[in-house]
Amino acid sequence: MGLIQRAIEERGVPTVSVTVARDVTEAIKVPRALFLPWPMGHHFGAPFHRDLQRRVVLAALGLLESSNEPGTIMDLPIKWADVRREAKTLTEQGRKL
Amino acid sequence: MSVPYLREAAAQDDVGKLVRFVRLHLGDGNETVGKEEIDQSWAETIKILLRDQPVDREFITQVLEKDEATLALLFYHLHFYLIRRSGRWIHDGSR
Amino acid sequence: MTAADKDALSTTDPREAGIQLRTGLWQTINERYPGSMIRKESYVRQAQLAKPLASCRLTLVSSCGVHLKTEKPLDVCHPFGDFRFMRVPSRVKHEELIIHQLKYPHDDADLDVNVIFPIERLQELAQEGRLGGLTANFFSFIGYNMDPEKFECTVAAGIAEEVVEEEQADCALLAPA
Repeated sequence: MGLIQRAIEERGVPTVSVTVARDVTEAIKVPRALFLPWPMGHHFGAPFHRDLQRRVVLAALGLLESSNEPGTIMDLPIKWADVRREAKTLTEQGRKL
Repeated sequence: MSVPYLREAAAQDDVGKLVRFVRLHLGDGNETVGKEEIDQSWAETIKILLRDQPVDREFITQVLEKDEATLALLFYHLHFYLIRRSGRWIHDGSR
Repeated sequence: MTAADKDALSTTDPREAGIQLRTGLWQTINERYPGSMIRKESYVRQAQLAKPLASCRLTLVSSCGVHLKTEKPLDVCHPFGDFRFMRVPSRVKHEELIIHQLKYPHDDADLDVNVIFPIERLQELAQEGRLGGLTANFFSFIGYNMDPEKFECTVAAGIAEEVVEEEQADCALLAPA
């Protein structure tokens, strides 16, 4: 993904990525990234947790506006355990639909 | 192993490295699991054939006339098909 | 077990501690598959937004392998990866999409694709005027690949070209899986 991000940025279009693997993102030196301490496959949160998904998207988009230092990695320090606790009911409700 | 690394191994006919890569791919990065998966897919073929269902040998003959690249890739698709049927699907990226 | 013991245990669980869940991932993958992981020596020149986000057209690029149910999937069985990419119309909903993937957990994404591909959240933001709009297509590919050089020439170059020239994106959100 980092290669694509760099290729788009090189063509003059600003980019931001969302990562759960800070070391991989740092190695490939992307322009901007939002880091979340979450598992693979869950970069935007939990099923049916619209507010959280939206929060992650907005935080990433905010970096597009605020970051002018290459390699900026901003943390969104929301614990995965908290996400799961909040999302439990939402996921159960969503499954029933 | 990356493709360039595998090309070197193939040029030297280093079967050990090539097989290690196959096991890693099939085992999602875990060589032991990959080895078990290979055994599992073969065991599944026996279970299926024991059911003594009709087979389409004409179709198999046609398929075997395909090019080597298609057949080599087909081998992987068949492996994963058999693993799904076995009910022991481990490919969820958790390794 | 005392409350203090429980606290100590809970802080060593990365899900409770709020740290990267799988540490040293670059090293782990590169050890298992030597040469497959990339390290770059320098940054590319940073581009800046030419206008406010509320006037920008955004595209989304993801390695989650999502695609329309009406289309054939990318090849998740190939041991080297699939060096093609899919276009996902930005107007579609979760029900029209499907993920075929092997190398990451997508049970939750199967329930709600926005967990990994926030297409509906972006649609909402565009409707609200937080974004100027979305490109007609978003992009999806398989993250697993064993040939970084080929990937850079095919998938990376191909998507970048389309994002800039055909979709005319003003900015891009990228999400690995």
